[in-house]
Amino acid sequence: MLDSPLPMTPASLQNELQQIEENYRTLLRVSTSRAKVGQTPKQVIWTLNKAKLYRYIPVVPAEQRHKVPFFLVFALMNKPYILDLRPGNSFIEYMVKQGYDVYLLDWGAPGPEDKELKFDDYVLDYLPRAIRKVKAVSGSDEFSMLGWCIGAILATIYAALRPDDGIKNLLLLTAPLDFTDKKAGGFVRWVNDKSFDPEKIVATFGNVPGEMIDYGAKALKPVENYIGSYLTLWDNLNNPRIVESWHAMNTWVTDLIPMAGATYLQLIKDLYRENRLIEGKLIIRGEQVDLSRIRANLLNVIALADHISPTCQSESIMTKVSSEDQLLLKVKGGHIGMMAGSGALKFTWPHIDSWLAARSE
Amino acid sequence: MNNQSETNNPLDPFDIMNTMRDANLKTWKSMRDANLESWSKIMIDMVNSDEYSQATGQWLDTYLTLSQPFKGMIDTMMTQVLTGMNMPMRTDVSSLAERLTNIETRLDDQDARLDDILNAIKAAAVVTGLTERLTNIETRLDDQDARLNDILNAIKAASVSKPAADTPAKAKGAR
Repeated sequence: MLDSPLPMTPASLQNELQQIEENYRTLLRVSTSRAKVGQTPKQVIWTLNKAKLYRYIPVVPAEQRHKVPFFLVFALMNKPYILDLRPGNSFIEYMVKQGYDVYLLDWGAPGPEDKELKFDDYVLDYLPRAIRKVKAVSGSDEFSMLGWCIGAILATIYAALRPDDGIKNLLLLTAPLDFTDKKAGGFVRWVNDKSFDPEKIVATFGNVPGEMIDYGAKALKPVENYIGSYLTLWDNLNNPRIVESWHAMNTWVTDLIPMAGATYLQLIKDLYRENRLIEGKLIIRGEQVDLSRIRANLLNVIALADHISPTCQSESIMTKVSSEDQLLLKVKGGHIGMMAGSGALKFTWPHIDSWLAARSE
Repeated sequence: MNNQSETNNPLDPFDIMNTMRDANLKTWKSMRDANLESWSKIMIDMVNSDEYSQATGQWLDTYLTLSQPFKGMIDTMMTQVLTGMNMPMRTDVSSLAERLTNIETRLDDQDARLDDILNAIKAAAVVTGLTERLTNIETRLDDQDARLNDILNAIKAASVSKPAADTPAKAKGAR
């Protein structure tokens, strides 16, 4: 901490003490308060149960905007404002500035009454209704859909079950779809162990607590998540840019929501254990999910350092779909850092924009 | 962190001490980072092992087995207490929430149908050349909507001021 040059004078000592006090205050503030997040102007245009559909206020004149609306579907177990973390570090803000009509589906936090919600409900009740609203508001019959993590599972299933519903472009980010390799990554190993009983978890809690899912995600890289992150903050307490960025990310990381019990069971049993989606055996409300029915233009973005969805879980969909226009994009970064880290503006967002812009007219 | 290099004087003992301190700090930091990195690799290997999966699974199973009876007991107790106090239970609230969601779903269905009807009318209007008349009707509907709002506001204003005047009479009547 003592950075002042020697010999220390009373004045420099006082400065040093002031600096220590200021650092202490910063540390206290960022570790105990919530950062301002999700600041891009938006309006709620549709709600159902806990779900909300936002439309971001366009900043580009209508005649210069891309014609096809851009619909974002985030995962079920975290808040979607990671896509709009803070001004200057917001994928949504970036895409709105690039002239897209952006819509975001926020699933909300399921309550005890939602414990029976399944993928079936999310895909065949919530998504079609939200998409109808997107089409009605945008006036376009076609749309682009981006799914991230479990949102990518939902988007994939939807694109396979309703390929004629106007889905023009399908963008998948860090999509955990193929669980053939039972040794790839901690999650697959843990949930495939015979002593792991998802039924018992759901029977005990109803909905799976956010803290439990968070522990699982953090335990995959324990040193980085429990120590490294705080050391980064400590080392950069004098750098406001890094401090504020850390604060926003910490706000998101600690803002946990539970996962509907029935969905969790489907995720673990049907996907992680039995790998039904990629093998074409997944049944959603009586309909078989056949990935070859996906014809939309496909952009599949994979993070090279993803420890939550290893690359092998995301790659194989490219050979399963019928999309003639498809691209597999591998970018630097981890599961979240790829889209919300400091390198996202350079390595990820421009690629997504350039691919999508050419297919949004 | 500091700007010692600008004022370095090899004969100044404080400069030497400053340089040494900075060098030590740098060394300590790089050692710390290297240690953390190797520790991280060890931990990642550990959590990706079958032994860890088994241990975690068993620990979780034990925790759930032990906590389930307590949870059941608390649930039963809460149900008895709330029933005794004539208060709604979680199941009652959940059931209401489910009904609300059903109502929302039906409203959304109606919204979709209204959109379809509106689109059909618009399409029909285009076909029969009635667009202009339809626009006029929409404008008149908007006007009527505004006037209805005015009337509603006037009624509301009147009903706010009325009770004050009526109170004595009502009170008298009640007696």
